[in-house]
Amino acid sequence: MIRWRNEIKQTAKGLAFLSPWLIGFAVFMALPIGLSLYLSFCDYPLLQPPVFVGLRNYHAMLHDSVFWESLRNTGYYALLTLPAGMIIAIAAALLLNSRVRGISIYRAIIFLPSLVPLVASSMVWLWLFNSRLGLINTLLRYMGVAHPPGWLTTTRWAMPSLAIMSFWGLGNTVVIYLAGLQDVPKELYEAAEIDGASPARQLWHVTLPGISPVIFFNLIMAIIGVVQNFTVPYVMTQGGPDRATYLFTMYLYDNAFSFLHMGYASAMAWVELLIVLILTAIAFWSSRHWVHYQGK
Amino acid sequence: MKRMLKNIGFVLLLIPALAILFFGPRQQAGVPKGRVVVTYWEKWTGPEEQQMKIIVDDFNATVGRKKHIFVQFVSMADIDKKTLIATAAGVPPDIAGLWDNDIAQFASLGALTPLGELARQHGITSKTYKKVYWRACHYHGRLYALVSTPADIALFYNKLIFKSDAAKLRAAGLNPNKAPQTIHELDAYARVLTKFGPNGQLLRAGFLPTEPGWYFPEVFFWFGGHIWNAKTRKFTLTSPEDIAAYRWIASYSKWLGPNAINSFTSAQGNFESAQNPFMLGTLAMEQQGPWMANYIYSYDKRFSTLHCSYAKALVMPLAQRRKNYGWAVAPFPSAVPGLKDVSYCGFDAFVIPRGAKHVKQAFTFIAYVESQPVMERLCSMMSKNSPLRKVSKRFIERNPNPYIDVFEKLASSPNARGLPQIPIMPQVIDELNTEAQAVALLERTPARALQKAQNRLQREYDSYEHVQKLRRAEK
Repeated sequence: MIRWRNEIKQTAKGLAFLSPWLIGFAVFMALPIGLSLYLSFCDYPLLQPPVFVGLRNYHAMLHDSVFWESLRNTGYYALLTLPAGMIIAIAAALLLNSRVRGISIYRAIIFLPSLVPLVASSMVWLWLFNSRLGLINTLLRYMGVAHPPGWLTTTRWAMPSLAIMSFWGLGNTVVIYLAGLQDVPKELYEAAEIDGASPARQLWHVTLPGISPVIFFNLIMAIIGVVQNFTVPYVMTQGGPDRATYLFTMYLYDNAFSFLHMGYASAMAWVELLIVLILTAIAFWSSRHWVHYQGK
Repeated sequence: MKRMLKNIGFVLLLIPALAILFFGPRQQAGVPKGRVVVTYWEKWTGPEEQQMKIIVDDFNATVGRKKHIFVQFVSMADIDKKTLIATAAGVPPDIAGLWDNDIAQFASLGALTPLGELARQHGITSKTYKKVYWRACHYHGRLYALVSTPADIALFYNKLIFKSDAAKLRAAGLNPNKAPQTIHELDAYARVLTKFGPNGQLLRAGFLPTEPGWYFPEVFFWFGGHIWNAKTRKFTLTSPEDIAAYRWIASYSKWLGPNAINSFTSAQGNFESAQNPFMLGTLAMEQQGPWMANYIYSYDKRFSTLHCSYAKALVMPLAQRRKNYGWAVAPFPSAVPGLKDVSYCGFDAFVIPRGAKHVKQAFTFIAYVESQPVMERLCSMMSKNSPLRKVSKRFIERNPNPYIDVFEKLASSPNARGLPQIPIMPQVIDELNTEAQAVALLERTPARALQKAQNRLQREYDSYEHVQKLRRAEK
């Protein structure tokens, strides 16, 4: 009986200490999430009470050409940025893992762009991509390219422009890979060298498997980041030209705050969550074939 | 040691506490005691913000002092979204400075306070305003807004370029001393005045429909077209007139090439800067509103003071004063024979959001601005025409915009057009801008682009109507 009372006391104390977080979670996360699920089945123009419409919002999505266009654009953006971004970040981390003079300066140079606020870097890149006066096209013309691309002003090059810009801010990811690289046991490299493995084979059979948990983590974070991407296209192109860079979250934002379809926007948010869950589940399922944890 | 650490910790907490105490948030300085504070949110920045502040300060010093009202002017970006969210949250401003295209959407959602009764009490009636503005302030027959400043669209043209290329214009059978009178003439002038560099790049554009590209949803007006049939509640975007309008946009892309236009446009400066292409002389003609005179004077005084100072010119007779300006204004030409003095007459609107705390006091300020002397003073400062029917001789003769009579004539014209009152106006503007962009890039034919917009917008509107029926049934 006394033991039971003590346990209740201990539990109460624990909950009391957890309560600020629990209350915050309930009020600012759980309640809004629950409400948004309800609103996804309603028509809710923000200034009038919600009206229950059943599956109408989800049904409307199936026939909404802009919904599918924004989803396609997001998929295209993911295809351009995810593989290339990971390769560039790993390559940069490998270079920064070497022992050369001034390596800390090189690491700082690679990391610094990720500290620049997105809006500020978007404004800089707007000028870099300027088709007539921009640095990129000026260099291309100097190199003999008579008609360089229109970059952000053409439907063909607008999305690749955003992808190129995203590689500039990979500093955070590079630092995480660098930490992972330094955690790979040196004995494995020594053993591989003794066995006659070339640097390329060491990379494929020692380094990459050694940092596979870090690759996996960055892959999940990148999937979430890509699906939620909003600031850069909003600032640089506003989704144009001709909706070529109109991403999923931009359409969600427009539905919520310009067109006042809060219910439809909530439904889109749940679809976005489903997409991220499916992609994450696929990543987790595939991880058993290529992610190797140390000690296992 | 423990005590020292405690003291250090205490000092570290004391410093920010003292900082908050002495430098922290304070009740707004400058608000006189005993006055009702009316919050007024406005979209304007730059010279227009300063000009409206003068009117607000004058009100506060005169009528406001007498009636114990103090108007607090706040300039902000994204005013439409912020007003919506504040209204939904129950903490709206007392006055919001929206655009004409916001009125139908806000009014249809019950976000605005009807102003009819207040207007009547202050003697404001349909006879006070030019018809086009009075009509656009209503939704379903109720008054929801009043005009803060109007915005008619006309053709600005560079007289200096016309003069320097006079021989070329005459050789093409065009008059260098006159603005184009029809759309075909406009295109002919544009061809003559356009210059290319040695590498074929566009150096100067005679005219571009995509510069500034703000009036795509209204371009149909100059072709005799309509966006919407209010009686049948159907969009009419696939009419021959509307398709002709988009075909005209595409014609410039077919002639110059979309890449050349994009490259040219991207190299131009911002509208609100000395690198504005019309001010720089890289764009010979532009579709713009009367405020352009204000911005030209702010950012490129030389363009408005060719022979003598601005102050000297202001007291000259109009015809003489116009010689001091390197630019001129004419009605934007239409494509329909006999259809003259067509203009899109938009405006900046005063609205009182639903739930505003000081409705009567807010309207007192609005009524003050709507009075003829104050309205003329405000519009004069901004180089805009007046929305009022009565206009003084002095307003025309001493307006900093020497072509204000052109804008006045356009606003009073039977062909003055306002935006249709469609409750899904943001979607309409978004869709028409996107399709116009696609047409300008030659990604879609005009007919296909407008059919796409028609289908999507009609579906959107029908869905809106269906939900409104559900709401009425629930009530």
